[in-house]
Amino acid sequence: MTPIIDIRSISFTYAIATSPALRDVSLTVPAGQICGVVGRAGAGKSTLCALCAGFIPSFYHGQFSGQAHIDGQDVVEKTVAELVNHVGLVGSNAFSQISGARFTVYEEIGFGLENLGVPRPEIIERIKWALKAMQLDELRDRSPYELSGGQQQRLVLAATLAMRPPVLVLDEPTAQLDPPTTAYLADLLRDLARQGTTILFAEHRLEWTADLAERVLVLDEGQVIDDGPPETVLAKQELLDRGIGWPRPALIAARARATGHWPAERPLPVTLDALVAGLRESGPPTTDHSLLITDNRAPSDGSISKDVHLSSPEAQHISQTTVVGRRSPALSDGSPEVPPGLVEGRSRRVEGSIVDIDNVRFSYPSGVEALRGVSLQIGAGERIALLGRNGAGKSTLLRHTNGLLQPSSGQVLVAGTDTRKTTVARCAHHVGIVFQDIRNQLFARSVRDELRFGPRNLGYPASQVEALVEQSMAALGLTQFADTHPYDLPPALRRLVAVGAVLAMNTDVLVLDEPTAGLDNPSIALLKTLAQDLAAHGKSIVVVSHDLDFCFEALHRVILMQSGQITLDSSWSRLDAQTLTTLENDVGLPLALRAARALATPADSALGLLLARNE
Amino acid sequence: MQSAYIPGTSLLHRLHPLTKLAGAALVITAIYLLPWPLAPLVLFGGLLGLAYLSGVAGPFLRTALRVLLPITISLFLIQGLLFPPPSATPLPLGPITLRREGLVFAFVTSTRLLAFTGTLLLLLETTHPADLVFALTQRGLPSSIGYILLVALQIVPNMTARATDVLEAQRSRGLETQGGVRRVRALVPLVGPLIVGALVDVEERAMALESRAYTAPGPKTSLRELVDTFSQRVARWLMLLGIAALIAWRIVMAL
Repeated sequence: MTPIIDIRSISFTYAIATSPALRDVSLTVPAGQICGVVGRAGAGKSTLCALCAGFIPSFYHGQFSGQAHIDGQDVVEKTVAELVNHVGLVGSNAFSQISGARFTVYEEIGFGLENLGVPRPEIIERIKWALKAMQLDELRDRSPYELSGGQQQRLVLAATLAMRPPVLVLDEPTAQLDPPTTAYLADLLRDLARQGTTILFAEHRLEWTADLAERVLVLDEGQVIDDGPPETVLAKQELLDRGIGWPRPALIAARARATGHWPAERPLPVTLDALVAGLRESGPPTTDHSLLITDNRAPSDGSISKDVHLSSPEAQHISQTTVVGRRSPALSDGSPEVPPGLVEGRSRRVEGSIVDIDNVRFSYPSGVEALRGVSLQIGAGERIALLGRNGAGKSTLLRHTNGLLQPSSGQVLVAGTDTRKTTVARCAHHVGIVFQDIRNQLFARSVRDELRFGPRNLGYPASQVEALVEQSMAALGLTQFADTHPYDLPPALRRLVAVGAVLAMNTDVLVLDEPTAGLDNPSIALLKTLAQDLAAHGKSIVVVSHDLDFCFEALHRVILMQSGQITLDSSWSRLDAQTLTTLENDVGLPLALRAARALATPADSALGLLLARNE
Repeated sequence: MQSAYIPGTSLLHRLHPLTKLAGAALVITAIYLLPWPLAPLVLFGGLLGLAYLSGVAGPFLRTALRVLLPITISLFLIQGLLFPPPSATPLPLGPITLRREGLVFAFVTSTRLLAFTGTLLLLLETTHPADLVFALTQRGLPSSIGYILLVALQIVPNMTARATDVLEAQRSRGLETQGGVRRVRALVPLVGPLIVGALVDVEERAMALESRAYTAPGPKTSLRELVDTFSQRVARWLMLLGIAALIAWRIVMAL
């Protein structure tokens, strides 16, 4: 049988690039197979996806060699429009894939079918099927532009599925989806594959990849470095060495192996099920905790960029002086010495909160009450995960932390000042927010200029602005791109630029909305280190994210919002069976905690601690 | 540029867009060609009645007045006071002197504008823009132009929403937006993300359209269905004949 995807020795260099995006890539996929592609940002995954859908070389110009056939069609010769009956591509940025010419979700799904000339009764039937498949029934009459990022992603998937391509190519399909939808998508794709659809997807979430793919292709610097079933490919040392990372079950099992809970001869698992099964075989959990107890609040050592962050003495100084609580940047300029009482100063700050939200209610002009009596204190050195479903009130709450929104009743104090009596720009001295859609933030011609903007607004003297910018770039691995235009960077790095631009403002609290969306393993590791370093310097970080594993591993305190109220506020380590259930039912659980629950391991057993060690 | 469409099930809502378009053309021709000064006002009255029957009278009147009141007032003032020929009949009014011909001119112009705006407004308030564009593309409007019309209707409100988000993002970065001089300085960080973002979107959107077979050769189908009837087709021809007749009549009158 001829393979439905047949790529032979493809090399491609983008017109403006100096090095090839794909080098001598060959890949054959039989019909009905699910093939995952993993690799760091810039490894060539998106280029491979674009190639399969016929966008190379017709949309992306450059130097091209090799041959590629999808479903018997020469994707190099044919136009995208000629290929749509053979292959469908869903890109990672849902917003820009909405046609813009249709006014409702329902009609948007039909757009492609109308263009193909599918008879109307069949269009209606397929729309109904796609609405159901992507759980969009309730949204069918809404405008595509009124949807959230995750809903738009589902819409674009639905619109592509409705066209019933025999080959489905997905570029980071889960980047904007919440955990329940992510799990659901895996089931849906498995169903499609069973019915004969061939699926090729590029993804950073290795657990999801391991769970779904029958076969995994590993790309690095445009080359295929490995190709095989996930259980043999994804737990190889080479993936760690190249910064691609391992799926979490493999990481946990490796830790278990180091402590004798996982026999050395047993291969490392790549899926949750395999991890749980393996741990069950290892016998009952020991009760000797002494080796395993770790304080998960302490910053981990040996992390990737520990030595990069805050490396220069100057940078060290800036970060420490702010810990003492300097409010006006102009005042401290002439006193470079760090006072000896630094540590005491830091611990005192822990008591007083930087942001004090007291019984806040907030209603939008439309009458929707988004916050219904929320109280929350953000102290110094905290690492907070703010979780909740769409519409739970997270975004509204974020906008209260710096005065963008003001409470209908109740009070918000930022550094002791009522947000009603000050401006957002003044609050920005204490609270910096990076919103999810970073396109709304970036405007400068270079990364360095982008990072200068915030600290300059805050009135820092020029020398200090430069120091803060350098420090921020170093912390996020952006120094080598200082003079690059942010939009010339891959999307993952662009997100880091947006984070760096707010980090450079040196605020007491850094708020990040979905910071890991679309990031690869090395970038996520940078953010983890950043969270720990900030906390170690008495600064706080608040993260809103669907990425529960990141929240678990990088953050300490977990807050759950449900229908405008905080229903859970605890540290990860203090969650009991009941609160875990609450969390699981609403937003899901991090993989390690799912493993612990599957094993019914008491949280205070050695194994429980091993699993729950969030670093 | 937000769609003015108000959903409904009235007779006017249910008419084929081309029938409404032909009707609108006839009314507009009549507004400008009927020789009686009160004709536009009478026609506007008729439109208002139709709007009432279609359940859109409120928004219809509000929008018409909001658009036209300032123009009407300034027309009356300027033309009344400054109508050019010195022979114009003076109408003293307290300390100022208005001119009769100027007022007549202002009356005719503003009532025509009122009826003209009312015609388009009623058409747009009772016709879904997608139906209108679909009807036009069926009659030979290039689909690319139809696409641009529809995208403009959606992208512009979307840009407004994004502008708000940009403002939030930059204020959160310490940008002070109150105060005059600072406002100007704030232009680049506020407009920049909008423009760059839009430009980046363009390429991705072009790819997305390709993926959705937008340029696929061969006939397209449509999810939207337009109900056309024999009587509507006859009505359209009669209205076009009416337009021709009006024009012919005026030419004959002028000879």
